[in-house]
Amino acid sequence: MKAAIKNYVVEELLSGRDIGDKDDLLLSGLVDSLGVMRLVSYLEQQYSLKIPPQDVTIENFVNIETISLYLAGRVGA
Amino acid sequence: MNYLLNHAIDRSAERFAERTAFRFLDESLSYAELVERANKLAWTLAGEGIGRGDRVGIFLHKSIESPVAVYGIMKAGAVYVPLDPAAPVSRLRTTIQHCGIRCLITHAQKQQDTLDLLGAETPLECIIGLGAVDHPGIRAFGWDSLESAPGESAPNPGVIGQDLAYIMYTSGSTGIPKGIMHSHASALSYARMAAQTYGINHNDRLSNHSPLHFDMSTLDYFSGPLCGAATVIIPEAYTKLPVSLAKLIESERLSVWYSVPFALIQLLLHGLVEERNFENLRWVLFGGEPFPPKHLHALRKLWPQAGFSNVYGPAEVNQCTYYNIPDDEPESDMPLPIGKIWANAQGLVVDEKDQPVVRGEPGELIVRTPTMMRGYWQQPELNEQAFCQRKSAGGVPDVYYRTGDLVQEMSDGVLMFLGRKDRQIKTRGYRVELDEVESVLAAHATVEEAAAYLVAAGLDTASIQGAVILKSGQDEVDSEALRQHCARHLPWYALPESILLLESFPRTSSGKIDRRTLQGHAIERERSEIEL
Repeated sequence: MKAAIKNYVVEELLSGRDIGDKDDLLLSGLVDSLGVMRLVSYLEQQYSLKIPPQDVTIENFVNIETISLYLAGRVGA
Repeated sequence: MNYLLNHAIDRSAERFAERTAFRFLDESLSYAELVERANKLAWTLAGEGIGRGDRVGIFLHKSIESPVAVYGIMKAGAVYVPLDPAAPVSRLRTTIQHCGIRCLITHAQKQQDTLDLLGAETPLECIIGLGAVDHPGIRAFGWDSLESAPGESAPNPGVIGQDLAYIMYTSGSTGIPKGIMHSHASALSYARMAAQTYGINHNDRLSNHSPLHFDMSTLDYFSGPLCGAATVIIPEAYTKLPVSLAKLIESERLSVWYSVPFALIQLLLHGLVEERNFENLRWVLFGGEPFPPKHLHALRKLWPQAGFSNVYGPAEVNQCTYYNIPDDEPESDMPLPIGKIWANAQGLVVDEKDQPVVRGEPGELIVRTPTMMRGYWQQPELNEQAFCQRKSAGGVPDVYYRTGDLVQEMSDGVLMFLGRKDRQIKTRGYRVELDEVESVLAAHATVEEAAAYLVAAGLDTASIQGAVILKSGQDEVDSEALRQHCARHLPWYALPESILLLESFPRTSSGKIDRRTLQGHAIERERSEIEL
């Protein structure tokens, strides 16, 4: 799951620039608030779930690691 | 004495030593701590031979070190040059070279990016914020090593009010970014005007939403300390996650908000703001681009206790008009006025020959004010064009800045913004010269001719699109390759959202690229996509 998320982030949001799992994803100018929304709708589609707005927070979306932890929790539940 | 920007923190430290000057998440600096740390940085810079007039780069993500860097550099007598921490390496190198930056202030988070900036030709000699840098001719000092420098007082570099305080780089139509030079006097004059206009006081808690390289940061960084207020630096990540941002505004009890409209629209639409308590918010200031009226009205209903002010002024003059929305102003879809020229500024609406127009006629706004920049760094031709001289009774001409903005004065003296004289645009509040985007596209080896234009169909902010004709036999290149080329040379906000590969361009009768038609086609395409 982590690899798939990373692949989407690097290819679709960062124009191919690599990023570490724990690097702050949102420090890059390439991911703005519209980019975050694109990522959210991709994840919703990919994992067939609804991500409520109150979950789109710094705790869940700061880096690829936290995003996969959040999703693992959601998918497993 | 109170004639330099950095005097503001010294005066506030005398009055409010223990009060918070700046906050960044869990970290805080009181005025006494800020002065001490800025003094230590100033002595370290002085030890490196940095003094009056020297340019020092700031290459930091938003952090608690940011205000230390800003004030430490000024206390050393030097000029701070904020660099966009997300800009491509080639653009940063160009700025460092153009501005002759010998010393850079950074932090461990930017270690690799900083090393990437160093090349054989770099004017850099000293890096502060990294413990060690393995590069010939570069001396490095970690933030820890500053602790041993004296903190009780600062060096005396003999700076006067007319000396430069900072240089901010912005998009230039020739493809080379231009550096807007502000003196202590012009910036302090602005900080005082803004503080008085909005009645900022030591109980206020200001947002710092804008990054340092964006001119709107000067209100947060200078007006706040001038009044002994607290400035809360909002981390980049929070500016992109409206739910977290709304929580932060509530928990930090912000009283004065200042940002581009785009940030407020994101908060309104995605921040779950109706669940938050914003009772401390007394001013919502916004500027940089027009605010779509329907979103603005929704926010006014949500936060009835707050005043809303449309702030206008190119970075070259900081600010020169404002429009405070009257409480009883009815809802309408009419664009918001930019307001009247504020006190301590004179504005004229002029025609092509620099003659004032009849009131109500459209024309270019020119402005004379003590908040005006000194000029663009090392750009004699641009400086010729930027200013306009008008005769005065005493025989010494008055100097006005040409805003390039077309305005219209209404019967009550209120100004309406109509558009630009040139091809500068705003996206998410950032200034972009479309000519610069074109010149970057055209610089790609496979491109014969390029065009860039603005598209805003149904979105809350405008986006840039590009179109190119390739040289014959160059059909291997795709638009993704061109996008990556742009990403190596342009800041993120100036990147074209899409790049079309065309066989030919529509032309005007004189053979010029007809960008208006290209734009029209693009808008039609966007509309049909939205309808699908």
